Amino acid sequence: MENMTASSGVEKLLSVRNVYKSFGLNAVLKGISLDLAPGEVLALIGGNGAGKSTLMKIIMGIYSHDSGEIFVDGKEMTVGKPAEALAHGVYMVPQEPLLFPNMTVEENILIGFDRPRAELRRELVERMDNLGWHIALERKASSLSIAEQQLVEILRGLLRHAKVLILDEPTSALTFKEVESLFKCVEDLKSQGIGIIYITHRLNEVFEIATTVAIMRDGVITLDGPVSDFTRDDLVCGLLPTDSCQRKTQVVSKVDYSKPPVFELRNFSGYGFTDISLKVYPGEILGLAGVVGAGRTEMAMTIFGRDKVLGGNVILDGKDITGLKTADVIKAGLNYVPEDRHADGLFKISDVACNTTSALLSNPKMGRFFLNRKEEKKVTQQYVDDFRIKVTGQDQLTGSLSGGNQQKIVIGRSLSTAPKLVILDEPTRGIDAAARGDVYSIIHQLRDQGVSILLISSDMEEIVELSDRAMSIYLGRVNCEFAKEDVNQDNLTSAAFGLIRKEEEKA
Amino acid sequence: MKKLDSHSHSKVGSLLKNWNTFLVVILILEFVIFGAANPKFLRIPLLLSSVNDFIAICLISLFVTFVMITGGIDIQAGSIVGLTSIIIGVAWQDFGFNIWGAVVLAIVAAALCGALSGFFIAYCRVQAMVVTLGGSFLYAGLALLVSTLSSTESYQGISGFPDSFKALTKFKLFDVIPSQLLIFAAMTFIAYLLLHKSKYGRKVFLVGVNPQAAEFSGINSRLIILSTYVLSAISAAIAGIVLTSYLGTAKSDLGSTLTMNIITACVLGGTLSTGGKGSAIGTALASLIIGLLRFGLPLCFKINTQYLDIPIGVLLVVVVVGRAVFNMPGTAVFMAKLKGKFQPKAKAAQ
Amino acid sequence: MSALKKVLKARELSSFLFLVALFIIVSIINPTFASSENISACFNSAVVYILIAIGMAFAIIVGEIDVSVGSILGIVATVVGSMLRDGSNWVVAFAVGILIGAVIGLFNGWGVAVMGVPSLIFTLGTNGILRGSMYVYAGGAWVENLPKSFKDFSSKTLVGDLTVYFCACVVVVAIIHVLLTRTRRGRYFTAVGDNAGGATLVGISATKTKVLAYVICGIMSAIAGILFCSRIGFVTSLSGNGYEMKAVAACVLGGISLSGGVGSVIGAAIGAVIMSSISYLLVFMGFSSNYDNAITGIILIAIVVIDALMQNRSAVRSRHERLMARTANAMEGGDSQ
Repeated sequence: MENMTASSGVEKLLSVRNVYKSFGLNAVLKGISLDLAPGEVLALIGGNGAGKSTLMKIIMGIYSHDSGEIFVDGKEMTVGKPAEALAHGVYMVPQEPLLFPNMTVEENILIGFDRPRAELRRELVERMDNLGWHIALERKASSLSIAEQQLVEILRGLLRHAKVLILDEPTSALTFKEVESLFKCVEDLKSQGIGIIYITHRLNEVFEIATTVAIMRDGVITLDGPVSDFTRDDLVCGLLPTDSCQRKTQVVSKVDYSKPPVFELRNFSGYGFTDISLKVYPGEILGLAGVVGAGRTEMAMTIFGRDKVLGGNVILDGKDITGLKTADVIKAGLNYVPEDRHADGLFKISDVACNTTSALLSNPKMGRFFLNRKEEKKVTQQYVDDFRIKVTGQDQLTGSLSGGNQQKIVIGRSLSTAPKLVILDEPTRGIDAAARGDVYSIIHQLRDQGVSILLISSDMEEIVELSDRAMSIYLGRVNCEFAKEDVNQDNLTSAAFGLIRKEEEKA
Repeated sequence: MKKLDSHSHSKVGSLLKNWNTFLVVILILEFVIFGAANPKFLRIPLLLSSVNDFIAICLISLFVTFVMITGGIDIQAGSIVGLTSIIIGVAWQDFGFNIWGAVVLAIVAAALCGALSGFFIAYCRVQAMVVTLGGSFLYAGLALLVSTLSSTESYQGISGFPDSFKALTKFKLFDVIPSQLLIFAAMTFIAYLLLHKSKYGRKVFLVGVNPQAAEFSGINSRLIILSTYVLSAISAAIAGIVLTSYLGTAKSDLGSTLTMNIITACVLGGTLSTGGKGSAIGTALASLIIGLLRFGLPLCFKINTQYLDIPIGVLLVVVVVGRAVFNMPGTAVFMAKLKGKFQPKAKAAQ
Repeated sequence: MSALKKVLKARELSSFLFLVALFIIVSIINPTFASSENISACFNSAVVYILIAIGMAFAIIVGEIDVSVGSILGIVATVVGSMLRDGSNWVVAFAVGILIGAVIGLFNGWGVAVMGVPSLIFTLGTNGILRGSMYVYAGGAWVENLPKSFKDFSSKTLVGDLTVYFCACVVVVAIIHVLLTRTRRGRYFTAVGDNAGGATLVGISATKTKVLAYVICGIMSAIAGILFCSRIGFVTSLSGNGYEMKAVAACVLGGISLSGGVGSVIGAAIGAVIMSSISYLLVFMGFSSNYDNAITGIILIAIVVIDALMQNRSAVRSRHERLMARTANAMEGGDSQ
């Protein structure tokens, strides 16, 4: 132990050595090592499912690792003890804020301390003044916006005099102003000698605030070093699987725009989005770019009958399907692959066959009263074969599958109802690179079969690669539209972040 | 390929099958131990007639299994037994209903009770436990009030039913197998078909595993949840009819002590208390195990029937803890991951 | 003070007003009710319920439930009652009773928090075991002939017509309330019930907190059992049956959220007074006691349903407001850049 401490360097705030972790059969971390020095901002980037969040939860002691060591300030941490990590000045601001909704902001920040409350309060007020953040301390946490919740979380960490602060995608729900003040805060902390691990998937942020960068992919660190050593392209390469780097697919759009659109939104409004009009043509993939919280998922959910329509129409194949129930929307020929696969898509303790055919249950093909097992098997086998879903059998539980195979099953289900239009919401979220390739080829296949696709994504590369045409959604409104030749990452990113708007409209 | 398939039986699936085998083994053990302790236990007529003492547990737990698969719980079924019984009695004796008309009326009333609780649970999103806890008092209270409508004092119970009604439970197939057992077998068969062979049963399972995902598959989760409470209430009504017929007396407090036995039967039968897993056959076997325990312990070991709550309670605790221990290494981590991922989100959404 | 406390106070206040309204309505229907004696009787007869509701409140606030409280009350009453009957020292008997409650609470806490068994199912099992044990311990007989001084103590009054027991209860409620709201660790209970994941993140052990909540619940039920002995004067094998239900109802009536994280013991105590007064009030309103169960059930269901509907509605509304605010920002955000 002593040797280890010496060799890992006394000046390191945090050292992670060779950490392995798997959930069941799913190996999530495959030997991770990283260091963090005082005043260092380590940007940790990687796609969803690369294992970043798992690693951070291990550092925090929320999960226990299978093997490897973690040192904070030269002292080895016991496996799986959050209190110990906290005591040594490690604090994580989670991606999804974990506040106590029924407590006030003040109580939320000050809970779990040993120090007298008045003193803490004074320090808190001071901190907030310094940062220029103003949240009424007596507000209930349940009334805070996600951004405000995030700020509360950060304040919590600061008040704990954290030496190692972990920020897990802190900007994903913040507005530009808030991002600015957060960056200022990070700079501040940096100069105070606090080590920060900054998880993000936005490359420009890396160059803006990080001193060092590490890229994680499929549970290993593929690249790390000082930010100045890398260019943007290097990082992009590091994120992609080795063989696919530099691959450019330039397919000319083959969509026949003279045909009437198969799907149309006319001034469609609902909670979280306003006045959206768009058309999807037969056999077309329409990319809809937007950051998390832009209203894209809310729009898809409302089309799918999960929330109230506030105005406008949804037309599918000439039929008005506005405000129908989910079952009727499916029957009319539209299906949706939800963004949150775990919450809205999968039946984890059910088998592959149950999952694949769950949307078909109202279809007489599956039997009138009794379940037609033959049909169930046939449909399931078809998708297992077509999508190359790796399963040990149709009776394997989907909870034990990898993210990619789970996603293929959810996509298979939505196709089982023979839809004319499929809405894919973040179809490659949290799945590995190989599976991503498979999902892309599935999407291409579909398009070739004449199924129209509305592809919602915050991954601009994905939209560039797949779309025949793209639109961007920003703060609940469509703000730009791009033809195939204009669909590129720069355009999409700046549009999705609201940096460009339809000039014509304003003029 | 065939071979691969047979090997790849999912863990829980094969576990469930093994579990049923395990239950059969326990059942056989009961026969062996009780039979050895007191040969009277094995006398067929006595053994078969013992079914009268626990038929209600068997019938109700079959359909409470449905409720538990959807992730709910039903602790009101016991009080519906009494309500059914007293409705039959009062409708027949004091309101001049034909006995079969009274039976139908009782079933309808029970179904309405189940629908009411189910509605609050599925559509108002109140915890099933609290609603059915309240329901157990409400329906027991209603039963008491219905009994006051009668000219007969409630503690006496209403008796003197026509023979045709009593014949319901007097009938014996081949002069040995009592009709109660036949009713149990039929209900088990119905529950089995409904749960494991029908589209409805599949929906029940899916709703139990993930109601959100079920909604996204176009399944009306709420209606399915409501329907399970109606089914369990109807099964309680059938139990009430059978008991009333057998005892020849309608009483408002029949079935008031059944709750723990029913839940134990479901849990012992392999129903996952968090929903999504369960089997009709498992519950049927488990309810027989409990029934024989209730019959055998007093007969063979002179244990006072009042003490029977202890072994049943111990059984319940041992089964749930045992299952928790069994699940610790693999599934626990997995569940922790799930919890870590989703609980905060659900809270944040509020 | 803070907004949260105002809201909490409002919840308690509304239960309190409900109680007052109940008294007024009954007095209007039957003027003979409106006497200090009758109203004090409502409070005095509530002590057992108050204690058991406080215990239940701990279990519910951490996000669980304990349906074995009634049988804890029963077994403790049986044990303590028979010890006193046999001439045992009071202090020893009480200590044994409280110890039994604590041990049962520990067992429940272990099953629920450590082993992760759903609380209803686990405590239902405990409930059965304890019920059976009562029969075994007392041999199915009533525990009677308790020392007269012990029984008489229950009717000793302290303030006006209010008994010593009730006054002590008020003090206990006040102390627990202060401990829960004013101390660091007291807030852990609400924190764990509010968001167990978040609690873990700030270093609060959800497991320990839940176990502690169950132990407190067991101890409170045990004390309730001792008072039950003293007030009723005998213990049957059915004593304490159904108290779990009244305790849950009392908590909900007192503004404690069944999903955990919200509520106070003051609310639970007020709810307990309402629950225990109902049968007393029904008599004054000319109903027979046959209505007891049905009305209790209706009140419980009505309250939880209304509570759930209001919560659902406000959750949906706040979500919608948040989403609307986002789109409304679009204009503003666009202009400012």
